[in-house]
Amino acid sequence: MPLPDLKNRFLILDGGMGTMLQARGLPPGAQPELWNLSHPDVIESVQRAYVEAGSEVLYTNTFGASAVKLRRSGVSVREVVTAAVEIARRAASGKALVALDIGPLGELLEPMGQLKFEQAYDLFSEIAAAGAEAGADLAVIETMTDLYEAKAALLAVKENTALSAFVTMSFEENGRTFMGCTVQSMARTLEGLGADAIGVNCSVGPDLMRPVLEELCRATRLPVIAKPNAGLPDPVDGSYNMGPAEFAALVAPLSDLGVTIFGGCCGTNPDYIRAAVAALKEKKPAPREFDACSFVCTPVTPVRIDGVRVIGERINPTGKKRFQQALLENDMEYILDVAVQQEDAGADILDVNVGYPGVDEVEMLPRVVKKLQSVVSLPLQLDSANPDALEAALRVYNGKPAVNSVNGNAEIMARILPIVRRYGAAVVGLTLDEGGIPQTAEGRVKIAERILQAARSHGIPDEDLWIDCLTLTVSAQQEQARETLAAVHEVRHRLGLQTVLGVSNISFGLPNRALVTQTFLAQAMACGLTLPIINPNQTEMLDAVAAHRVLSGEDAHSDAFIARFAARPETASAQSKTGEALTLQQAIMRGMKGDAGRIAKEMLAEVQPLSLVQEHLIPALDRVGEDYEKGVLFLPQLLSAAQAAQAVFEVIRVAIAKSGGESVKKDKLVIATVHGDVHDIGKNIVRTVLENYGYDVIDLGRDVPAETIRDTVEREQVRLVGLSALMTTTLPAMEETIRLLHTLPNPPVIFVGGAVVTPEYAAHMQADYYARDAREAVEIAKEVLG
Amino acid sequence: MHVDIAEAMRYLGAESDAATEALVREAAAELEQRVQPRFVYRVLPVTASEEGTALASLRLPGSMAARMLKDSTHAAVLVCTLGAGFEALLRACEARDMARAVALDACGSAFVEAGCDAARREIAERFPGLYLTDRFSPGYGDLPLTVQPDLLAVTDARRRLGVTLTESLLMVPSKSVTAILGISDTPQPARVRGCAYCSLNQTCTFRKRGTTCAAS
Repeated sequence: MPLPDLKNRFLILDGGMGTMLQARGLPPGAQPELWNLSHPDVIESVQRAYVEAGSEVLYTNTFGASAVKLRRSGVSVREVVTAAVEIARRAASGKALVALDIGPLGELLEPMGQLKFEQAYDLFSEIAAAGAEAGADLAVIETMTDLYEAKAALLAVKENTALSAFVTMSFEENGRTFMGCTVQSMARTLEGLGADAIGVNCSVGPDLMRPVLEELCRATRLPVIAKPNAGLPDPVDGSYNMGPAEFAALVAPLSDLGVTIFGGCCGTNPDYIRAAVAALKEKKPAPREFDACSFVCTPVTPVRIDGVRVIGERINPTGKKRFQQALLENDMEYILDVAVQQEDAGADILDVNVGYPGVDEVEMLPRVVKKLQSVVSLPLQLDSANPDALEAALRVYNGKPAVNSVNGNAEIMARILPIVRRYGAAVVGLTLDEGGIPQTAEGRVKIAERILQAARSHGIPDEDLWIDCLTLTVSAQQEQARETLAAVHEVRHRLGLQTVLGVSNISFGLPNRALVTQTFLAQAMACGLTLPIINPNQTEMLDAVAAHRVLSGEDAHSDAFIARFAARPETASAQSKTGEALTLQQAIMRGMKGDAGRIAKEMLAEVQPLSLVQEHLIPALDRVGEDYEKGVLFLPQLLSAAQAAQAVFEVIRVAIAKSGGESVKKDKLVIATVHGDVHDIGKNIVRTVLENYGYDVIDLGRDVPAETIRDTVEREQVRLVGLSALMTTTLPAMEETIRLLHTLPNPPVIFVGGAVVTPEYAAHMQADYYARDAREAVEIAKEVLG
Repeated sequence: MHVDIAEAMRYLGAESDAATEALVREAAAELEQRVQPRFVYRVLPVTASEEGTALASLRLPGSMAARMLKDSTHAAVLVCTLGAGFEALLRACEARDMARAVALDACGSAFVEAGCDAARREIAERFPGLYLTDRFSPGYGDLPLTVQPDLLAVTDARRRLGVTLTESLLMVPSKSVTAILGISDTPQPARVRGCAYCSLNQTCTFRKRGTTCAAS
């Protein structure tokens, strides 16, 4: 049966299934999906009752039919899904559509859980393919709280079947899902990815759902779905507090907001649907008003581009030796640090470019994206000349990103724009083509118009096209600054598009670059620049943006501006308590990161890096370690000192990268939290402290299979391995890892630790050392590696 | 709800250190602003038979559950969590400042305990005139972790709180607690006291220092 045209009509879904089955004898906690096989007649009778009540769409009884949730049941996804579709088809008997119901997998995705995005996609593909094959009419992805999981499911349906896909997520009263996803982020991301209708289900009743639906109806062009619970459950017995009449009286007015697809979730039954159908008879689909503002987002941070938004430019190896070194050494922590600094400095979006000779961008760009989105809450602008790298990164991006870039070249547009469309990204269009950069504003605007036409023909909405009118160096081509500004004005005010500029180029080769850049930035913003790509760590640049927001009226009452300058600390000179100049040792011992770095920089003028480490840094860390053991200092101070030492190491690394010498890192060791264990703060503490003694720590992360550890040890020729386990249930995995490492011809020395590990158990597992804490891990490393 | 600062400092093993306290207070303030403990519970009848103790169809193996629930007609299964928000906050903090991150982690542990205490008060109010036992959890004494899937299923915690289990039966998000509280019509003595009930009794940092968490 084909899906009806959803414009100008209501569509009625079904109501709750779980509560209906419990009333028919399903024990609490049992898996309802298994009843497709054991009690098909019961399922069919429930669904039949929904058709009789007026449901035009039946959800198959497959909410929990993922391989994860069926793991211990002994039945396959295919069996359950096929049976469920057949039952629903019988119940529908030509009067209703059969929707393949796809719920959350039952295990959390990375970075929160252990399930990889690619694995989630495969698990959803299995369900989607089975449902399509069994003859479902459409797919409904529901009760999602993780936008990343919803994306995996939607891609799985779109890429493995020809079915239409509805997606509903569950929002709490605060307007966010459990995972923190906002309504805007959901709407902008899922519409971009090609959902056919989106909405809200479960969690609360129709009354508390209303504000979320109101926002959603403005945030999308798609039909909007409401499938609320019958109010809230009584915690004691689980019963819901809202009857059919009250439910219907609250559901029908949701149509005034623009909602057109209705159903019920937990606690509802056919009476609720019948009542809702009757109440909706009095209503007509309401006109919708779409908010066509430009957006990019992560799940937790939608960035609305209705003023100047700063794109941070620092994640880019071009001209940055230290960044190049980090890329070649796979130093993700450094890249993360660059991102975090920009976020803290006030960037709104981060450009991510990892293109450098010797780096496989197709592998590296998605890896960096995953790492960044696990920690940074800002949206990313994926910056690459390699279409495959862009696609790989777009696929694993969680939210709606921007792509940097296309230009007026027809071939490039034909290659990139379809990818941008498929993943629902925004895209930067550079005003150049095979003929180069036009020397006049007019020429650049012409290219912008050409890109706009191409984007439209690919179905990319105007708000998702950002035009870069290109900054040229004013010391080389002085007249070009004016042309750039004129083009920005035209693109912003006549074409109505967002405008991007890499601002810093302007001042190359001039003295007082910051002043020239800041002045150009101010002029460009006055002309209509909305998305400057700048270094947010340069205070002058964000000061100019802050001032612009006052002048444009965006910063009401200048509140943000005043707060920005009130909070600026006076630069105090670092002194010890007695008023004498601080020594490096003192700075480290007190955990004064900034001072430690500054003093180290000064000392490097006279002292060799290695002796700085040996004679100043290590003794200071040893003192802190001793005080920690004596109970004079505590874990936070131990870590603060380690971080101050890290700042010193960073200064040394920059100096060495500049001079092109070898790193000062000591021997390598591997650390990991064993398979099955997801708690890793203890292991991270050990890493922080070891790194700051100069060891080259290969941190394999948490939940690491024994084989991965063995292979890494073999490949990297590692002599020392640290394993952590926090739960009794994962001790066997630790034992197994040790056993496997001992099968190597030249086994490494192994130390173990973690809350449940005891010295006795360590010996029993044949570990070489037991480390009570990070401090003992350092002693072990010193003994084994020197 | 508030973080018990003294409790968080105990978790850090730094009971009276002023520098640590400042850090903990800062972390607690941020935590309280960004995250709140959330809980769900479900009350089920207790049955005792030769096969052992059960809550409706949910079997609770071992002698501890039997001892804890011997006077109870009903019991509440409780799930409390700080949710995914805490994990994100901790990850962001770890990337910036590990010292602050360990303080935040300790505050998180104290905060989820505060959530359990709040849930206990709410349950007590729902059953005026009746008495609650101490709360106990899988992993205490001989109540195995293998009951975790059932506890999450009867409370519908996956859907209602977003709490999931890994294959090795760990809860994600990590600052989550499952617990059982017996409901009885006779006053209940404190039974969960002492290290024998604690799953950390081999490795506890207090015991390493020759003390206990109750004593400090």
